[in-house]
Amino acid sequence: MASPSTDTKIENPALAEPRNEGDQNATTKTPKPISSPSVFVNSEPIRPEQVENAVKFLSHPKVRGSPVMYRRSFLEKKGLTKEEIDEAFKRVPDPSPTVQGATVNQDPQPKLVANAQLQAPAQAQQTSAAPTRGVISRVISQPRFHWTHAIYAVGILAVSGAGSAVLFKNALIPRLKSWIRKIASEDENGVVRKPGSKPSATEEAAAAAKTAAEAAAQVAKASQEMMDMNIEEKRCFRNLIDMLEVQQREMREMSFTIRKLEDQTNSSSVVRTYSQDYRLSSSKQPYTNGMAEFNSLPGRSSLPPASVNSSIPPYPKSYIEEFNDLSSNAYQHMPNSGVAPRSKPWEAGQPPNSSSTYQLQADSDLGNINGSTSRWQQKNVRIAELENEEESKVGPYYSSQAPEQTARRPWVPPQPPPVAMAEAAEAIRRPKPTVQKEQQLTGDHKLDQPLNELQSVTDISEMGGAPEARPSEIVEELEGNC
Amino acid sequence: MPAFKIPFNGYSVKFSPFYENRLAVATAQNFGILGNGRVHVLSLPPSPGAPIVETAAYDTSDAVYDIAWSESHDSILVAAIADGSVKVYDTNLPPASNPLRSLQEHTREVHAVDYNPSRRDSFLTASWDDSIKLWTVDRPISVRTFKEHAYCVYAAAWNPRHADVFASASGDCTVRVWDVREPGSTMIIPAHDFEVLYTDWNKYDDCILATASVDKSIRVWDIRSFRVPITVLNGHNYAIRKVKFSPHRGSLMVSCSYDMTVCLWDYMVEDALVGRYDHHTEFTVGVDMSVLVEGLLASTGWDELVYVWQHGTDPRAP
Repeated sequence: MASPSTDTKIENPALAEPRNEGDQNATTKTPKPISSPSVFVNSEPIRPEQVENAVKFLSHPKVRGSPVMYRRSFLEKKGLTKEEIDEAFKRVPDPSPTVQGATVNQDPQPKLVANAQLQAPAQAQQTSAAPTRGVISRVISQPRFHWTHAIYAVGILAVSGAGSAVLFKNALIPRLKSWIRKIASEDENGVVRKPGSKPSATEEAAAAAKTAAEAAAQVAKASQEMMDMNIEEKRCFRNLIDMLEVQQREMREMSFTIRKLEDQTNSSSVVRTYSQDYRLSSSKQPYTNGMAEFNSLPGRSSLPPASVNSSIPPYPKSYIEEFNDLSSNAYQHMPNSGVAPRSKPWEAGQPPNSSSTYQLQADSDLGNINGSTSRWQQKNVRIAELENEEESKVGPYYSSQAPEQTARRPWVPPQPPPVAMAEAAEAIRRPKPTVQKEQQLTGDHKLDQPLNELQSVTDISEMGGAPEARPSEIVEELEGNC
Repeated sequence: MPAFKIPFNGYSVKFSPFYENRLAVATAQNFGILGNGRVHVLSLPPSPGAPIVETAAYDTSDAVYDIAWSESHDSILVAAIADGSVKVYDTNLPPASNPLRSLQEHTREVHAVDYNPSRRDSFLTASWDDSIKLWTVDRPISVRTFKEHAYCVYAAAWNPRHADVFASASGDCTVRVWDVREPGSTMIIPAHDFEVLYTDWNKYDDCILATASVDKSIRVWDIRSFRVPITVLNGHNYAIRKVKFSPHRGSLMVSCSYDMTVCLWDYMVEDALVGRYDHHTEFTVGVDMSVLVEGLLASTGWDELVYVWQHGTDPRAP
């Protein structure tokens, strides 16, 4: 092995020089042959945190049991350099602590010696230092001297046991003897034998008995306290359980109320859907229903929302507000049955649903009963179903009204229907609602206006003609009929 | 030129550094698991239409996993055998006196052999016994043994510019850079999270290293800042068996993989994959780029075929 390395070294200077000149990476241009591959050496400093992690890893008991090769390989895979790994291995205590023990021993010794000097003369120093040294050495070299430690422990135990045995013998035997003698003496004599060791013995016995009794009393007290503690704990637990039960009840009540609310909304929406169906089946009545709703709500719209809220679940509020919107901008609302142009309502935002339901109802109420109404009906049903799911999300709809309507714009409305249908719609409009209309016309003008506007709008869309003639026609007809 | 059919499964190809039309192929029976092996020396035809001719073939008792041409003698080959031996062949000698030498020191299969291009007298063998041995052709015993890897060493590659530096790729997921003059490895690069199957140096930048791994990626490293690779090349669908830098263009690499393709990469370019050849029908385990002819590629695989073609042409074109 030596010769080839010398060979290489001989060759190296010759090779190194041209290499150095040509090598832009060489850090030094010393005559040393080892200078050029400095690039191929890890020049990073030792990273302390990596070493710390490695030490922790190596100190783990499971890791301790694994072969050293695996530990090294693991650390290498983690990106530690050789120096860091070696440092970590140094730091982790190996099963050969002699080197470590010696180095550590030397450190505390001067300190202890210094302390001892203050206290005692030289001999004492040495004696104090020696046992401390011995203690330290014992403590430090603990892992190795387990067995001596065990021997010490055994020895101490034996000594203590022997000592206690001796003590017991010394103490008990006289006591027993005195006891026996006392009994015997009591049997024989009375209280004559007071002075001397025996009465003292009896007194001692009595004292012992007293202490025993006291001890027993203390034990009883302690047990009593334990009992009390247990009772208290039980009480606390019971309280806890009661509280939990109360909470449970409250939760149940809340769920009940939620269900009730759901049922209410279900029922109301169901009512609306039924009303729509009814509308289709009988041409007259749906309109009346719709008109009835239509009539009633404008009246309600003037009421403060609070009263509405108190009696009715949240979404009719939006219904009202939507009618307000409708009144303000009727034409825009016409083509509102715009569930179709948007992406699936169950995918995208929920806002469209509830608003669209009401508007749809309004539109259908106004009598755009064409082939498209069936489609609308389906949409209504769908939307109503969705509405049930999203009843709680009415709030944000108000703000999103405008964008919805503008979003609905692109969808081409199903109107205009053919003229024939318009006439039919007219005819449909005639009977009862006309009477109500009269009343409205004569009565509240405020309420009238939205109605008229709506009607005019529908008329426009239906006829495609001048809206102005229409109301007058209707009025004439009404008057004619009457 | 047409493909050359070999009787066994191909394991490695190497162009001769002396003759541009000479090629050595290491093959093994039964995919290299059990059985014999054979070393082929092929001669490429002068005209593209003619077939490849075999000029010599040497049988071995066990699979041949790798082959290397000597840089000092134009007829000497070194073969890495699966029974742990390293055999030296001389094509000038008659078959009876071949192998020239059989060096038995490794205790497990010798997976790779690489000849020192600078020093020209020594070569390395990487073995599954976790060690790398340094040999010179004239000695019957190894010069140095480098035992540090925790798992099989799959490849060893000399640095093209520094005659004493080499890199090794191992199944312990690290790549080590060694200096022959140092007792141990000088750098440990945790290159991949999985086994590293091959490593090669950039022929134009002596600090750039490419590693091929089981994790289907090739990583290009600069050993001056080896914590993070320069680039990671993804594109293979299976483990990559070999990666070789081009001797003609600094950033060009060729790789072969278990996904049966040979891919060309240029890691300086944003879209690194510059070529893909899908001519094999089995694992491609051997690939080489000729030093003497720019753009000449050779590949072999377990489909018992050796292809030699010019980059840009279809390997299967007759």
